[in-house]
Amino acid sequence: MHLLLLGISHRTAPIELRERVDFQARGLENALRTLAARSAQRAAAGEMAVLSTCNRAELYVACDDVEAARAELIAFVGAFHGVDTPALEPHVYQAADLEAARHLFRVAAGLDSLVVGEPQILGQVKEAHGAARQAATAGPLLNRLFHSSFAVGKRVRSETALGSGAVSVSYAAVALAKKIFGNLDGRSVMVIGAGEMGKLTAQHMKSQGVRHVTIVSRTMGHAARTADAIGGATATPWDDMDAALTASDIVITATGAAAPILTKARIEAAMRPRRNRPLFIIDIAVPRDVEAAAAEIEDVFLYNIDDLQASVRENMARRTSEVTRAEAIVDEELDKFGSWMRARGVIPTVVALRQSFESIRRAELDRLDFKLSGLPPEARDEARARVDEITHLIIEKLLLTPTEQLKALGDQETAAQYADAIARVFGLADSPPERGVQDSSSGGGTTERTAGRVQPFPRARTRDQR
Amino acid sequence: MNFVPLALYAAAFVAYGWHFARRAPAVGRSATAILVAGVLAHTFVIGMETMESGQVPVGDATAYISMFVWLLAVAYLYTEVTTDERAMGVFILPLLIALQLIPALKPADVEVHSPVLRGPLFGIHVSSLLLAYASFALACVIGITYVLLFKEIKARHLGFFYARIPSLQVLDKMNRRAIIFGWIFLTAGILSGVAFAFEALAHPVSAGVPQVQAMSVGDPKIIVALVCWAVYSFELFAARRIGWGGRRAAYLSALGFVIVLLNFVPISYFFTKSHNF
Repeated sequence: MHLLLLGISHRTAPIELRERVDFQARGLENALRTLAARSAQRAAAGEMAVLSTCNRAELYVACDDVEAARAELIAFVGAFHGVDTPALEPHVYQAADLEAARHLFRVAAGLDSLVVGEPQILGQVKEAHGAARQAATAGPLLNRLFHSSFAVGKRVRSETALGSGAVSVSYAAVALAKKIFGNLDGRSVMVIGAGEMGKLTAQHMKSQGVRHVTIVSRTMGHAARTADAIGGATATPWDDMDAALTASDIVITATGAAAPILTKARIEAAMRPRRNRPLFIIDIAVPRDVEAAAAEIEDVFLYNIDDLQASVRENMARRTSEVTRAEAIVDEELDKFGSWMRARGVIPTVVALRQSFESIRRAELDRLDFKLSGLPPEARDEARARVDEITHLIIEKLLLTPTEQLKALGDQETAAQYADAIARVFGLADSPPERGVQDSSSGGGTTERTAGRVQPFPRARTRDQR
Repeated sequence: MNFVPLALYAAAFVAYGWHFARRAPAVGRSATAILVAGVLAHTFVIGMETMESGQVPVGDATAYISMFVWLLAVAYLYTEVTTDERAMGVFILPLLIALQLIPALKPADVEVHSPVLRGPLFGIHVSSLLLAYASFALACVIGITYVLLFKEIKARHLGFFYARIPSLQVLDKMNRRAIIFGWIFLTAGILSGVAFAFEALAHPVSAGVPQVQAMSVGDPKIIVALVCWAVYSFELFAARRIGWGGRRAAYLSALGFVIVLLNFVPISYFFTKSHNF
């Protein structure tokens, strides 16, 4: 069983193509059910999940034949979204097994995002897994894969500063406001100018719990329209600006005025009745709306667009410097996942080996029954039980070391060679083992054949349990 | 014996410093664990001294400093647990270490020599002032962090402290609270001290005790305590009446605590004639 990833992202495909291949719009579960129905006919893939964000669309599947699955998946994406397969093909990237896992881990960590370390992606990865579970297309392999990727995402967030610091101007403004005022609940914001930038920052502030937003514009009509667009905001006449300034905690200025609107003297006058309550002024206008000297007033924090952009650049640089640490976490978790995959790869061989030994034992026990038939019933049962127990223990002990050695094999190729050798030496190839029914809740690893009561990695059993 | 808590406080300082620089949560938890161990060791030391002398060792200046360090560590741990904020540790620990050096190097004389130092008023006086000074120490550290963060934000250069210290508003509120708490106990401590002095002066036992005779506003320890009270009273008044919060309150908190420290170490050891039992 292989893990296969197929996808397009902001790195390989233009926006025109990405918006056409948007699984989110048509529902992840719907896509998964359609794909599952197609795959069932062609036996292309066993487990499948779709990760869809505005910057990427990726399919993760568990399959036996990578090439066949790839062709089938591309055909599915083309058919599902009505995109020509030849147009799609050049933009598609693919990875198999551990490289596919590495890719998902990097995605969950935010390492593959357009803005490195952005926080939403982990939620979107969780959503992809949730949809696969809902559509019943997630099996042990994908469950394990996604849970490992959640672990990577959480570790990167808690152990590195990859996601720290605001990386957009409006986020930086909100982060600064929080650093000054604690939380923004109950704070008042005044926006001077009815432009787009001011509106965006005010909207952002509002979503962070700001109580009151008021828009001041030379034209009352503009102010009212912008206030409506923000929702729950009010418009204030230009002449009442000083009173509004005194009442505000945060002021965003974004007018097209040629000369400063807020002079140092004007702000000083507004500060007096405030009794030194801090005032945070964000001047995003060019040319500036606030006199630079206003920054000298105690309790006034004045930031212009360059200051905010400098902070954004510093945060970006800090995030970049954390990439190495995040990659190290990805490597560590990939090692763990790799070990699990390899242990999982030898399960069929272990099952077949145990099954073969068990069938020999059962056959010999049956022959013994015939030989014991002359004994009285009680003595016969006693003898049978003893022999059963001893032979079982012998087999367990004989198989213990080979099982552990197989589980500990370093790479998949060696594991395949060992499995092949064992199959030949013990003649297992004649009766290929059935693939085990696996426990999806634990993420696999407990294969069991109920018919022969064969367990690949059994624990010691008591006589009563048998 | 006072070396053991000192060593643990030093280890905790290293851990808090590392946590402050690297912000690794596991290191932060270890820092707290080491500090808790230090406080427990310190509790044991004070407990032993109490058993030795039969009363809580606060009569001697060195024992009093040890007691103060212990209380400050407990007060800091309380703030850390209630606010889930470890950034202050790296600032408070150097103070604990510097003060704990005194009892570690110069063992306290825990035996009570003077029969004057007994009674409930003495207990109230000493414990109120301990609580007041511990609060002022916290307020000072909070004030320092406030100024550091304020300067970064004001200078529009968001860097080291910006990412590590809680918001200005939170620091201002914590500072205000610590000052109010400290002021109440400082007032109680001074008033109970006055009552104690009058009682002691009237008592025949203290007739030949020079310290009791020196208990007047002319004594350096008492003058400085009153100056302290004036500074903190002004800080509270200014915050309420003229809006002196934020950076000015932070500076006043630092100034107030410098005076407290002055009273605590040099004046206690070299200048006072009324408080050197």
